[in-house]
Amino acid sequence: MKIFIFHLMPYAHLDMSYAEKYRAAWVVLPNTYFDPKKGHELYNRYLDELELAAELGFDGISVNEHHQNAYGLMPSPVVTASALSRRTKSARIAILGNAFCLREHPLTLAEEHAMIDCITGGRLITGMVRGIGAEYFSLGVNPAYSHARFQEAHDLVVEAWTKPGPFSFEGNFYHFDYVNLWPRPYQQPHPPIWAPSTGSTETIEWAAHPSRKYVYLQAYSPTQSVARYLNYYRECAQRMYGYAASSDQIGWSTPVYVADTDEKARAEAKPHIEVLFNKLLRLPFEMLFPPGYLSAKSLKNMRSHKRSVSGQEHTIDTLIEQGIMVCGNPDTVRKQFMDTHRLLGYQNLLCLMQFGTLPRDLTEKNIRLFAKEVMPALQALTDKEYAGMQVQAAE
Amino acid sequence: MQHSEINVRGCKLNVRRGGRGEPLLFLHGAQGLNGHEPGIEALTANFDVIAPDHPGFGKSDLAGAVENIGDMALFYLDLLDMLALEQVHVVGQCIGGWLALEIAIRNTARIKSLVLVNSAGIRLKGVPRADMFVCSEDDLLKLLFAAEGATQWLQSWRASPDMEDIYERNRAAAARYSWSPRLCNPKLDRWLHRIDVPTHIVWGDDERVIPRAYAVALKERIPGATLATISNCAHMPHIEQPQAFAGEISKFIRSAAR
Repeated sequence: MKIFIFHLMPYAHLDMSYAEKYRAAWVVLPNTYFDPKKGHELYNRYLDELELAAELGFDGISVNEHHQNAYGLMPSPVVTASALSRRTKSARIAILGNAFCLREHPLTLAEEHAMIDCITGGRLITGMVRGIGAEYFSLGVNPAYSHARFQEAHDLVVEAWTKPGPFSFEGNFYHFDYVNLWPRPYQQPHPPIWAPSTGSTETIEWAAHPSRKYVYLQAYSPTQSVARYLNYYRECAQRMYGYAASSDQIGWSTPVYVADTDEKARAEAKPHIEVLFNKLLRLPFEMLFPPGYLSAKSLKNMRSHKRSVSGQEHTIDTLIEQGIMVCGNPDTVRKQFMDTHRLLGYQNLLCLMQFGTLPRDLTEKNIRLFAKEVMPALQALTDKEYAGMQVQAAE
Repeated sequence: MQHSEINVRGCKLNVRRGGRGEPLLFLHGAQGLNGHEPGIEALTANFDVIAPDHPGFGKSDLAGAVENIGDMALFYLDLLDMLALEQVHVVGQCIGGWLALEIAIRNTARIKSLVLVNSAGIRLKGVPRADMFVCSEDDLLKLLFAAEGATQWLQSWRASPDMEDIYERNRAAAARYSWSPRLCNPKLDRWLHRIDVPTHIVWGDDERVIPRAYAVALKERIPGATLATISNCAHMPHIEQPQAFAGEISKFIRSAAR
């Protein structure tokens, strides 16, 4: 199994009393809550944490994109990935993901990814996402065309990376007379593409298509939901496309906290993970899923599933109980990952080692302990330890 | 009113039609129609009312060629040709008003008069329209209706799972056509001089979605347009003040549009 560290780069200094005045930490939260001096410290600290993980043997370090919010300070993950590309030597750098379709001009991102791939000698992984619903408010992009734009932006970028230029691209949303990418990506035919998602049926079916076979990465959800979505990917591959998906195509992303004892882990992580779920992820349904962002079918599925992630107050106990977070002593955490691996067969694991307000010292302790006591056993896991499909897939 | 399905160049359009008199095309707003619109019923006393679900709304198909309100205007001009309607009165509320404007700047050959009810369409810099998409359901009701009683309208969408599905479908369709920029075509006002049929503007006195400045601006920019206000009424006169709504339209058509 490949182990990645994942960072959201939250604005940890947020005055949490904001919640008395504003309905979300996104879209409508005034940017006067952001102090650039504290931002300066946070960015550098967070980059240090990712670099530390690379030194300690994580297979990859990953960053992502969110706009106009306190939950994650990376409107451009290309910036953080670029900063990391010269400070690391062998770890994969995974942008999970970039929302190409939110851009009027996705080719600029295609160029930037090709640059990072050349600079790092082929260490880039390109995640392609639609962006969460709130992004469609913040950037004024029409959510009703989100899927179609996502697919067209993907086609444009892959063609730009692989087809000799100059050529013209004649799409519905994107029109270019001269597509002729300099530089071309280092990896041939192009960097691996991953599809991180919260479980959109259309995205799963798209990612599993035999012409793509992209890694499907399920973002944090209760274990039962993770199982449904990951198994849906495998089912899709089998039933719709007639091939057996490899476990290398399956990924799971989850917050992780390790300490000497279960009690200590729970006590140390508690305030910080609860800030993540109750304050930074505070996002009403209307902002999370603007009209047209999901198909009618996915919307129905999501109404039941998402209530459990963002529709209620979480405590660390409910998060651990539902498997949304993995927390405990090294034995507990190792065992839990081995159990879920047996159940789900994911060969890619993204660990969110810093979350919410988790401070520098605890984050570093968490990374070091995980790398030493948990990670080696997980890296040794292969498809042989996967028990095969057992949970019914999502409809 | 009778339901029928009209095939417009491959798009099956669900159309309600009823009443006697001159033809009146009602173009619904972002909320769509669910058959509980007393104002539209009231119009059937004086007119042959034709009230389609726009493509993608209600029980109408999406039309691949219709990606924005400008496309939809051409789609409706096709429909008017198909129905061979002459001298039709066009009434549009919210984005339906915007649609009526986009139709009228293109071609008024089949149009006898225009009524714009709490109409979207133009943009006034510095006068934002409310965002119906970002707010919660409770806040949406407060935007749409001046008085209590709005719950009844919402309940009519909750009457069955099918109705709930259509409610969500309408929200998605409204986003498709009016998300960005919200509820307007910033370049529309360059062409309002082309409107050459009698035009009446009707606005709820307590409108909260599209500020009254828009009513005034439309009156100023459309040649010969008149403006009337409906009391105790917000964005949905055809539901909240059905008699005043139908009365205002009938009165205008009887006088100015003769």
